[in-house]
Amino acid sequence: MSDEEHHFEAKGDAGASKTYPQQAGTIRKNGYIVIKNRPCKVVEVSTSKTGKHGHAKCHFVGIDIFNNKKLEDIVPSSHNCDVPHVTRTDYQLIDISEDGFVSLLTETGGTKDDLRLPTDDNLLGQIKDGFAEGKDLVVTVMSSMGEEQICALKDIGPKN
Amino acid sequence: MQGFSGGGDGATAELAHLQSTMSAIEAACTSIQMHLNPAAAEATILSLSRSPQPYKACQFILENSQVANARFQAAGAIRDAAIREWAFLTAEDRRSLVSFCLGFAMQHAGSPEGYVLAKVSSVAAQLLKRGWHDFSTAEKETFFHQIKQASLGIHGVHVQFIGINFLESLVSEFSPSTSSAMGLPREFHEQCRRSLELDYLKVFYCWTRDAALSVANKITESDSAVDEVKVCTAALRLILQILNWEFQCNSNGKKGVNVFSSGIRQDAGLSNRSECILVQPGPGWRDILISSRDIVWLLNLYTALRQKFSHEGFSIDCPIAVSARKLIMQYCSLTGTIFPSDNGQLQEHHLLQLLSGIIHWIDPPDLVSKQIECGKSERSLFSESPSAAGYFSDYVLVTHQILLSCLCSEMLDGCRALLAMATVTSPTMFNQLLKSIRPFGTFTLLSTLMCEVIKVLMTKAPDEETWSWEARDILLDTWTALLMPLDSAGGIVLLPPEGVDAAATLFTFIVESELKAASASAFNDDVDSDYLHTSISAMDERLSSYALIARAAIDVAIPLLTRHCTERFTRLHQGGGSLDPTETLEEVYSLLLITGHVLADEGEGETPLVPTAIQRHIADSVVPDKNPVVILCSSIVRFAEQSLNPESRSSFFSPRLMEAIIWFLARWSQTYLMSPEGSQDSSYSSKADNMHQVQSISSGQTVLRYFSEYDHGKTVLDIIVRVAIATFMSYPGEKFLQGLTCYQLLHALVRQKNICIHLVTLESWSKLAIAFANEKMLFMLNASHQKSLAQTLVLSASGFRDSESANQYVRILMGHMTAYLVEISSKNDLKRVAEQPDTILSVTCLLERLRGAASASEPRMQKSIYQMGSSILNSTLILLEVYKHESAVIYLLLKFVVEWVEGQISYLEAQETTVVIDYCMRLLQLYSSHNIGKISLSLSSSLLNDAKSEKYKDLRALLQLLASLCSKDLVDFSSDSLEAHGTSISQVVFYGLHIVTPLISLELLKYPKLCRDYFSLLSHMLEVYPEMVGQLNNEAFSHILETLQFGLHHQDSEVVNMCLRALRALASYHYKETASGKMGLGSHASSLRNPKGELQEGIFSRFLRTTLQLLLFEDYSPDLVGAAADALFPLILCEQGLYQKLGNELIERQANQTFKSRLTNALQSLTSSNQLSCTLDRMNYQRFRKNLTNFLIEVRGFLRIV
Repeated sequence: MSDEEHHFEAKGDAGASKTYPQQAGTIRKNGYIVIKNRPCKVVEVSTSKTGKHGHAKCHFVGIDIFNNKKLEDIVPSSHNCDVPHVTRTDYQLIDISEDGFVSLLTETGGTKDDLRLPTDDNLLGQIKDGFAEGKDLVVTVMSSMGEEQICALKDIGPKN
Repeated sequence: MQGFSGGGDGATAELAHLQSTMSAIEAACTSIQMHLNPAAAEATILSLSRSPQPYKACQFILENSQVANARFQAAGAIRDAAIREWAFLTAEDRRSLVSFCLGFAMQHAGSPEGYVLAKVSSVAAQLLKRGWHDFSTAEKETFFHQIKQASLGIHGVHVQFIGINFLESLVSEFSPSTSSAMGLPREFHEQCRRSLELDYLKVFYCWTRDAALSVANKITESDSAVDEVKVCTAALRLILQILNWEFQCNSNGKKGVNVFSSGIRQDAGLSNRSECILVQPGPGWRDILISSRDIVWLLNLYTALRQKFSHEGFSIDCPIAVSARKLIMQYCSLTGTIFPSDNGQLQEHHLLQLLSGIIHWIDPPDLVSKQIECGKSERSLFSESPSAAGYFSDYVLVTHQILLSCLCSEMLDGCRALLAMATVTSPTMFNQLLKSIRPFGTFTLLSTLMCEVIKVLMTKAPDEETWSWEARDILLDTWTALLMPLDSAGGIVLLPPEGVDAAATLFTFIVESELKAASASAFNDDVDSDYLHTSISAMDERLSSYALIARAAIDVAIPLLTRHCTERFTRLHQGGGSLDPTETLEEVYSLLLITGHVLADEGEGETPLVPTAIQRHIADSVVPDKNPVVILCSSIVRFAEQSLNPESRSSFFSPRLMEAIIWFLARWSQTYLMSPEGSQDSSYSSKADNMHQVQSISSGQTVLRYFSEYDHGKTVLDIIVRVAIATFMSYPGEKFLQGLTCYQLLHALVRQKNICIHLVTLESWSKLAIAFANEKMLFMLNASHQKSLAQTLVLSASGFRDSESANQYVRILMGHMTAYLVEISSKNDLKRVAEQPDTILSVTCLLERLRGAASASEPRMQKSIYQMGSSILNSTLILLEVYKHESAVIYLLLKFVVEWVEGQISYLEAQETTVVIDYCMRLLQLYSSHNIGKISLSLSSSLLNDAKSEKYKDLRALLQLLASLCSKDLVDFSSDSLEAHGTSISQVVFYGLHIVTPLISLELLKYPKLCRDYFSLLSHMLEVYPEMVGQLNNEAFSHILETLQFGLHHQDSEVVNMCLRALRALASYHYKETASGKMGLGSHASSLRNPKGELQEGIFSRFLRTTLQLLLFEDYSPDLVGAAADALFPLILCEQGLYQKLGNELIERQANQTFKSRLTNALQSLTSSNQLSCTLDRMNYQRFRKNLTNFLIEVRGFLRIV
């Protein structure tokens, strides 16, 4: 129980701009965290102590935001964790190609063609049906630590 | 349906019919047991009990069926059918049903299927109760004569058992808490209870006692009296049950307890103590319970059983012994007017009798506990070394184990008996009891017993469930009962000197063993994560009992604690970091907890007073510095102050120790620090303390004065604040510790006005405020702690003398945060940086802080908090846009707005209100545009659920926002009216509702809180502004109706109630408007042809149907009938034609002529009796309520069945 360790210590390897260091104690449920080099959403945080009179440590249960695998980690609560930079961008859906790729309209007017359709049946059905019916669909693409995935869909309705 | 009623022409046909019914039921029962198509089997059985007059068939089954289950079901069917049809049965039928059941049970008394007999006799009991007012006294006498004969054993033991069994069912049927539902009002049950208590209970008691007496000798003399044992056990159980009766007519039946409001018994305070129920039968029972020799007989019986068992290796745990012990304990709880007012002589004699029987179970304590423990270790020895066990026969081993568990339960029952005695006597009498049979008083016994128990407990692992745990808890309850009697209302209890000594010895022992336990557990690492919660909150109850004991011997307790504390503090210092201090730390930890409990009570939101023991205690010296309490408090505060020194902090102030310190300071400061009483003159002590008027000043007063604002109070307050800052700055990531500081310590401080006045002048407090605004460390706190800290700091502004400086303080405190938030939101590259985790963290913290400040709105700081909010309105809208995918941020933002608006709205001037309302509408629109039609997807169901519940929380916040806007119309402190500025709150809220409702799917309404919020807002709006509904467009209107329709069938009766209120408002509005020749709800009300050409009913027709359907055919809480009547009445008035039609349909549907005419009459009187007229005023509503209640009683029964 000697030191007062609250200075930042950057963990270098995770790719500088893709993650940010944040004190473990400040990470809340529903926040994000990097566990085993995967971006996760925190679904459970609990604290315990190292020995009765030791310092607090946090126990995180996270769910990988891309493949939904469950991951766990224990970090002293005054230490830093990596928090992934998660962005979500809306694109208008232009086309669905037969090999399972989508074509999206970017803000600058270009197209983005490197994304696959989602594997989830429900979302997939919604996208395909909506597109077939000629609705104007906006998809939200979530990206973090170099990975991308379609995560949400919104029907902005036929333009009047 | 007719299948079971038996309407055959000839006797043979009838017999054949009964046979077939029986085999159908038998088959059904068998198939249920085999799990073959249980649904169909259940339906068959149900159809029997639902068919009209199935009695013949049931009796046939009971008498002839070989399948026990079928007989059981038949008995149940008799019960269900008879209760339902009771009103139509002839007097002869009723009587014969009861006597059939009774006769059946007695005839088959020897049958091995006991459960069938129990069921039959309980059916008899229920029917007898149902007809309690219908049977003549002579009829009842006939039944009871039969029972009496049986229970006295004239027809043999088996019938005797049945007789007792029947009485048992009867008593439990008549006791309101165990009675079964009969579809009758509560008055009925109450009248039955009263009648039984006055006329029969005593008689039953005598019969039962005689029954027990008649078999007792046989049991003690012979080994094979199995049936007698059964009878005796049942009799003892019944006596116990009779004594458990909730006696209410104990003073000659004149005690007018309002049974309808007193849902809880008066001795509810006892319920948390170990199963000790007071028995207060009143003076009428004196001759039977006290003067008779029943108790002596019972004690002798038990002693005989005990000897017999200990010799012959039978279990004392067998039901008869357990019942006997329970009954003995029940006799110990006798109290009240049963004892004459003879200074408690008779009671003392009574208890002494009992105690001399019980004493062998617990005295001498060391021997008893040794016997129990020895037995255990021997047993474990046997199991470990089979060779040794071989020496004994298996039989001895088994006997031994059983004997052992008996000793335990006997000892525990002895402790419970002590508890019961402690509950009914004064401490002095309690102590006196034992003196006549032992050289010491009961207190000494209690104390030694408990020391013994604790000694055993210390040798056990904490997670091992042992008898000593239970014994300790019971004994602690005994102390609590003695020291905090229920009737004394917090007054002081004077213990006899022996009691004080016993308490002192016990407390010394408790502290020593707690310390030993603490140091032993210091290195236990395998504690689960929430160990602290268990150690502070679950231990709380035990510690409060310890505190009571300590306060009983305050002269010894305080110096003892001081000595222990000082010793450990010095040890820590001497260690100087070289030795491992962990054991000492753990000792200090538990010392702090104990001391905190001894010195101060839990506030629970109130300001706790100095405990009476400390208040009254007269110290030898009035010099404050030598007052023992002052010495103890000061030494702990000084110890806490040492945590400010970085060196000692790092060497021994561990997070866990700090937790105890903060907890102690929080608890202690609420009572002692700058108490308003301490600042007053000594006049208080002379007023409150007549007994000690000679003494100029009491100890409590000395302590309060010592820590008052004129003396050491300010210094101590300063220390506390600095320690608090240290927990934030020097214990990074210690969430729990910081939570304690925020929620317990600082919250408690700012709650007291007189402390706030000094807080704001302290340099350390401004240091905390500055650190809060600027320090990075404090941005690292848990976000909700930051919220609480912001709230605390803002609240402390109430300590300023004028509102100008208070506002100034808040402005400076929060200015930094608002500026920072505005800066973030106006960044050019906001879109890019917003999603970076560090930005999210900052925004989250800022919003939490703003939310905390907003929730601290008080009139004095209102201005500055309004400015704080209004300066960031635009920024919040920008953030709402940017973070539309970041639900956590959105929720915080909405919560901030909700709390800010809620705190401000009633103070705002018209101009400001317009600003706020415009802002809220923009917020709603923006939120809705982001969320409507959105489908989020995730592969993981738990994340998907999260997303759903996030959405639910958002919507709930929005509804709260609308609700607080609504309140502006009701509570408004502004100087000019809002209408002058052309803003109508109702319009705004309806518009808001219009935006929000499409987001609320029926799926989301399954969340109970959201559902309540939504419907309470909706019903409020419809009740207060029904005229606005007409102006809604069709889509919005139909959505509202759809949700109302949904709400009417909700399982939460509160929701249904709100929907009914809304309906009433709508219908009565429409009726009144149309009556005066206006539009009312216009097109919504009338039937329309929709574009497809189908006829669509008007809304009132639809709701009239729904409400009637609900009232007549569905399940609902009886509380709703009033609200339903209020809604139904205007609905009927609006749609009279339809109502007539529906009524006729109902009548037509009835096949049975009697029912048909009953229904016609009932419908007739629903709308015409009680001079009901067609105006909607209070009188008429009341009349209609009455009519509807009568109507439902009259017809609902058969409408629902047929």
